[in-house]
Amino acid sequence: MKRAITATVSTVAGFGVVLGMHTATARNALSSALKRAAAPAATTVPAAPAGGGAAAGASRAAAGPPAPSTTVPGGVHSAVGTAEQYGYGVLSVKVTVDGKRITDISLANLQTAESYSQMLAQQVVPMLRQEVLSAQTARVNGVSGATYTSEAYLISAQSALDHLHVP
Amino acid sequence: MGTAVSFHLYPGEGAPGSLHSALEKACEGLHRVEEVFSTWQPDSPVSRWRRGELAAESLPPEVGEVMALCEQAKRLSGGWFDPWSMPGGTDPTGLVKGWSVEAAASLLQAEGWRAGMVNGGGDLTVFGPPPQGAAWRIGVQHPWRPEGLACVLEVASGAVATSGTYQRGPHLVDPRTGRPAVAAASATVTGPSLALADALATALAVGGATVLDRIAALPGYEAYLIGPEGQESQTPGMPFG
Repeated sequence: MKRAITATVSTVAGFGVVLGMHTATARNALSSALKRAAAPAATTVPAAPAGGGAAAGASRAAAGPPAPSTTVPGGVHSAVGTAEQYGYGVLSVKVTVDGKRITDISLANLQTAESYSQMLAQQVVPMLRQEVLSAQTARVNGVSGATYTSEAYLISAQSALDHLHVP
Repeated sequence: MGTAVSFHLYPGEGAPGSLHSALEKACEGLHRVEEVFSTWQPDSPVSRWRRGELAAESLPPEVGEVMALCEQAKRLSGGWFDPWSMPGGTDPTGLVKGWSVEAAASLLQAEGWRAGMVNGGGDLTVFGPPPQGAAWRIGVQHPWRPEGLACVLEVASGAVATSGTYQRGPHLVDPRTGRPAVAAASATVTGPSLALADALATALAVGGATVLDRIAALPGYEAYLIGPEGQESQTPGMPFG
């Protein structure tokens, strides 16, 4: 797994949302969750280094099914990433890994006062999930598709993370 | 634009500047495009021009560049892409997103990044050698299965743009009638320029098979169409992986 994480650092450049959401929030939230989920079960513990500035500490418990009693390289792990602050609030994502495959990504925690901002976060994470999961199964570098946009909120988001091309 | 843009960058031998500063520059460029071209921000130059409050000569130079590309896309698509026939007045939005993403990728390449991909809401462009294999593998999102792919394309460099009605409902407009169009569930165009591929994908989604034939005749461009009932068609050179 070290390889995948290293690849994250060296090759994934980033993720920016053109309207509203802080650049890299979703990426940071995901990659921190991924690191925790990818770690051997015994070390998937809370209280990792803070990544969310003022928001750190809002959500950091490792969640998911009980860890296997023996530390097998495969197996299902999930973890919640560091709470990431973005323009209007704080969010964290939960990633589930089965062996080397990501099997799920969801919004673990969202703290924000306004509905506009909730809308943003609630769109970003499903999109992230879609792109990540299809990238993994079909071994693609990217996904082309019609824009996810809510006409009402004039916002959409799409994200791609190539560290998910776990070998 | 209301779109998220993702970046994948691969450094070359001589290390380019920092990732952070490269992304900052690229994002600044995208934000500037948003400020200039937004049709929903009432005080953007393009909004003021649309209302007749700003003369064409007073517009920032990039508007002229985009409108010239719109002209070209209109001609190449046989009028199926036509920013001058939009119900709310002249609207180059259908080309601007692709153009701005293409510009961001060119900037990053000029900054010394060896290879990369910039994906603006599903319209993307790649440059340089792919991370593995001989070509970049680009999935085309399936119009009805949200997590599925309709196909995978292999491109060495250049653009892949997809238009469709499945995400936003019928937001595309038939320039002949000014009414919502439903000629395709999904329309994908590949080619060297993302600005043109974006506009041609919109035209293909509205015009269907007629536009497919026009794209087949364009050197360097290929197209793939999924009709409203799921029937597929493509130009002969479409690079399926």
